[in-house]
Amino acid sequence: MSRDLKVGLFIVGTTIIILAALLYLANEKGLFANTYVFTLSSKSGDGLTEGMPVVFSGFDIGKVSTLELNDKGMVLIKIKIAQRHVKWIKADSAFILYRPLIGAARIVVTTNNLNSPPLPEDKIVAMETVNDINDAIKKVQPLLEKITQIAENLERLSNNLSDPKGDLNRILSNAQIITKTLSSKKSFLEMAVADEESVQSIYEALKKVKDIVTKIDKMADKMDKQLYGKEGTLPNINQILKDIAGKLQKLDKTVDNINKISTDTSDGMKDFRMLRSDIDDTVNAIDDVAKKLDDLISSKKDPEFKLP
Amino acid sequence: MNVLENIGRLGVKTVKSFLDTISFAFKVICRMFQYRSYNSAMRMVLINQIYFTSVQILPVFLIVSIVLGSLLIGIAFQLLKQLGLTDYFGNVLMGLIVTELSPFFTVLFITLRSASAINTEMAVMKVNGEMKTLETFRIDVINYLLLPRIINGVISLVLLSSLFSIVLMVSGILFSWLIFGMSTDVYINILLNSAKFFDMVIALIKCAVFGFFITLIPIRFGLRASREFTSIPIAVSGGMVNVFTAIIIIEVLSFLIKLF
Repeated sequence: MSRDLKVGLFIVGTTIIILAALLYLANEKGLFANTYVFTLSSKSGDGLTEGMPVVFSGFDIGKVSTLELNDKGMVLIKIKIAQRHVKWIKADSAFILYRPLIGAARIVVTTNNLNSPPLPEDKIVAMETVNDINDAIKKVQPLLEKITQIAENLERLSNNLSDPKGDLNRILSNAQIITKTLSSKKSFLEMAVADEESVQSIYEALKKVKDIVTKIDKMADKMDKQLYGKEGTLPNINQILKDIAGKLQKLDKTVDNINKISTDTSDGMKDFRMLRSDIDDTVNAIDDVAKKLDDLISSKKDPEFKLP
Repeated sequence: MNVLENIGRLGVKTVKSFLDTISFAFKVICRMFQYRSYNSAMRMVLINQIYFTSVQILPVFLIVSIVLGSLLIGIAFQLLKQLGLTDYFGNVLMGLIVTELSPFFTVLFITLRSASAINTEMAVMKVNGEMKTLETFRIDVINYLLLPRIINGVISLVLLSSLFSIVLMVSGILFSWLIFGMSTDVYINILLNSAKFFDMVIALIKCAVFGFFITLIPIRFGLRASREFTSIPIAVSGGMVNVFTAIIIIEVLSFLIKLF
């Protein structure tokens, strides 16, 4: 193969590869495709730039072509969408300006219902904003406050540690004294009362308490025998209680009879009431008769009666 | 006062050299767009230059591209995974590796291999008096010697850098599958989402400018050699230092263009 042919092959081959790559890129970027322009509105133009990508499900489907400020002070964002991607833009599509913590801002399109009608090109859709930086600051703020508190506490603690009159140093010096005292004493008790004679007295008092407890124990044994023995107090009391129970049974019958008598007497009292009312009626009748007689006597000139 | 004089002299010399280079570049660009510059002798030299600069080193260049590209992509992807920035691997691949590092490595490769050779060749020709001979035979030195080398630089840089980028993107398929468990479709989609047409055009223009200056500056410094052999290393080292300075200036300018 001649040198000329090799050079020619190299130049033509490489040029074809480069042109093919550029054409493929241009075609995939939609450079030769028709585009649709939609208009979005936003209160602020912060974070918006011409050429910003418009993304659907993570794929670039278009870009911001122009930014304008209308008479009402609203920012109008014109986005260009390639023809093959326009199917994702529907009437209920939401447009969100996403400003991540790291990386470039982009307009994210979300369409919940892909069967809804397409978005008219003349309709102006309001755009929302999601700002990762502000969100992150909001989330980090309480954390920072807590960290500041912790730092302050640590500072206080370290100050306390470094202070010779601080709580911890005092505790340590006290602990040193205690351990020193403990090492020179025979027992905790001696360390607590700080006097050997007192310890002896406490031992003697404890011995006496032991003797007393022994005596109380013996007394309790005797009491037990007297109370619960065969001829003890409690068995006798039980016998007496049994006698009383028998007598009470007998008394129950007597009480029943008395109850019956009182019931009968109560019934008789009802007859008495009727008799009394009869007597009252009779007395009233006699009284009426007497009154009539009195009237008759007072109406005569000669108030004299001739009795038969 | 002597110090100030020295600084002033150095400043004037630098500005004069810069202006000379720019005016020489303008002269060469004008010749590039003249039809009569492309005579049969020039075309023959141009083909030879492209052969030596690009075709001859193509196997080595491809091997280096595969090894270096895979290494770069592997490190970048692994780092992105560790940092939890998997979503941005497309931007890193296209924005950093393909449009920035790929032209940079290519220009370094060509500078080390060809620019130094051109610089030495020009200096030796000047020392041997070959330039005078060509002028005696009324052969246009710019058309015959300089223009083919500069055009070769432009063509080679653009084509080799593009090849390097393509090799990188192909090896990216393997690494994205190994490191992220990503399918080819998803990988291509991410690349397409991250690729910016404007950035790619800027990268190609940058390659062309790189190619232009990494051949023009060594030629300029080679032609500055005197008739003594000791002037050859001085011309070569001066030319190479200026080439690297030009590379950095072009990188900064392209960054500023992309920024604004």
